Amino acid sequence: MKPQSTFEREPARRVFASELRETRYQFKDGEDEKSPTYVILPTGIRSNRIFVVGTLTEKQRQGDQNIFYRGRVVDPTGTFFIMAGSYQPEAMQQLARIEPPAFVAVVGKPNLYTTPEGNCLVSVRVESIAVVDRETRDLWVLDTARETLDRLDAFGTTDDSRKAQEEYGTQPDLYRKIVYDALSQVQL
Amino acid sequence: MTLSEVTERISRKLEAKGAQPDRQKIESRLRRLVEEFGVNVDEAERTVTGDLAREYNVTGVGTGGSSSTELRQIRDLAPNDWVTIEGKIVALTPPVSPSIAQTGIIADSSGAIRFVAWARGNPPAMEYGHWYRLESAVVDEYKGAPNLKIHSGTTIARAEEDAPLLPSITPIAELKPGVGSVRAKVIQDWEVSHDRMLQTGLLGDETGTIKFVIWKEEGKDRLELDAVYNVYYATVDEYNGRLSLALNTAMYIPDEGDIEVGRNESETRGALVHIGPGSGLIKRCPVEGCNRTLSRQNYCPVHEIQPEFRYDLRLKGVLDDGVHAKNVLMQREVVERLAGITLEEAVGIAETNPLGMDEIFYRIRNTVLGRYYTCSGSEFDGRLLVNSCTPIVFEPAELAALLNRAGGEPA
Repeated sequence: MKPQSTFEREPARRVFASELRETRYQFKDGEDEKSPTYVILPTGIRSNRIFVVGTLTEKQRQGDQNIFYRGRVVDPTGTFFIMAGSYQPEAMQQLARIEPPAFVAVVGKPNLYTTPEGNCLVSVRVESIAVVDRETRDLWVLDTARETLDRLDAFGTTDDSRKAQEEYGTQPDLYRKIVYDALSQVQL
Repeated sequence: MTLSEVTERISRKLEAKGAQPDRQKIESRLRRLVEEFGVNVDEAERTVTGDLAREYNVTGVGTGGSSSTELRQIRDLAPNDWVTIEGKIVALTPPVSPSIAQTGIIADSSGAIRFVAWARGNPPAMEYGHWYRLESAVVDEYKGAPNLKIHSGTTIARAEEDAPLLPSITPIAELKPGVGSVRAKVIQDWEVSHDRMLQTGLLGDETGTIKFVIWKEEGKDRLELDAVYNVYYATVDEYNGRLSLALNTAMYIPDEGDIEVGRNESETRGALVHIGPGSGLIKRCPVEGCNRTLSRQNYCPVHEIQPEFRYDLRLKGVLDDGVHAKNVLMQREVVERLAGITLEEAVGIAETNPLGMDEIFYRIRNTVLGRYYTCSGSEFDGRLLVNSCTPIVFEPAELAALLNRAGGEPA
């Protein structure tokens, strides 16, 4: 355990929806009950927080006793499934106020679920969400493209990326293509 | 290092003091310590030398490494060295305990070190401004800084002549715990936080800034704000990973000229991913020099209820570039520009809106959360104190560069 004084907040990784959708591997860093849970992203980095900007296309209130909101946020590569429940009251109320469609910025924790049928789903538990503009969305695509390419450039040289190789058999070229396609959708 | 070498060294040391030690005895004692008791060789040498010195009733036998009689440069001293140095007493400080005879700073042309002379060894008093040769003193570490210990085995000899000594000036960015001399400008004069404190503030040179303190003491003068000083032999302390200069051991002389102080500004780009509690409109304690944030009930942790508070705007957030998350703190002017709201407007809204001050928090958060900014400012305590914050704008050239980097076929 690091002492409190050197605590560093976990950075919010930039990841495209199509990469997050492939994420399957989750682990706990440490034995403690409060040890953080990470996922390994296919391009080879651990993450327990992500930052995404996209279009909120759909929002739904669910549950009777425990109300929570689900939403879909779309980026150029696919869809993020986001949710905010009563454990994140601020985030839930923010989400409740936003009417789709809208450009939103979301900070949240990636979560893996296995459905009763055995499918693995990734959702994002929202920490905060705010309405932004198109320019912020475009900046995010550039930012996420850059971070993804940086990870691909370092692929195979870090422990996390070797783990990703083992778990996913990642093909870096495939992700370069995804990045390229995402960038192509940004209008000059 | 073999045991016979060590034996030889111990014997020579004792012989130099007029004793006739038995080499076999020395070696067998060493062997016993090293082989039977697993003591390391250095420690065994020290123990055996000490034991024999007592048996032969000789004093002043260096019990450490081989270099203890070789003259060393003060700059190169490291903890656990047994050393011989020649230096000038450049500061004497009042001993903090009766078991200490003298404390101060001794310097040569390479550098300076704090020393402590223990009373038990009955050392001769050294005089300020004179040169001394210290044989077999020990370097240890005290509060993270090297410290020279003068004990009963140390020989002190006054040098024949007192050579002039020019202190070597260290850039502020390169100071280390211990003793340091700087040429610096007084750039801030802070409110003193303690009765015993004469002055505190910030000194700066081209390479950076450092906090300084002068404790109340006879003959100590305050520094003039904005003046440049040569500060010789200040004590460099470390606390919570940050350095500060105590000027009580130092001589400070006003110097001519001016210094362009390096603010060690840093620039960070990223998205604001978190707006922390305590952001937005806040109330501050009106007591002079306090300025603490009041609770909702106008309670100051020091001055209790303060109904005559002042309003202020600030933002505590996290700027995240995807690799590092950095805490940022923005003051009123920066927040006003960023959120497009002045303090007066914010107060007006807060006083008429049912949500009160929360309304301002939400407005600011909704304006800035999730957006990209470049923040520049100085780093303090792991937090960026933001001087300027500008939104990042979309650059088509960057898109083109990234497309090239992703390297697909042209669309």
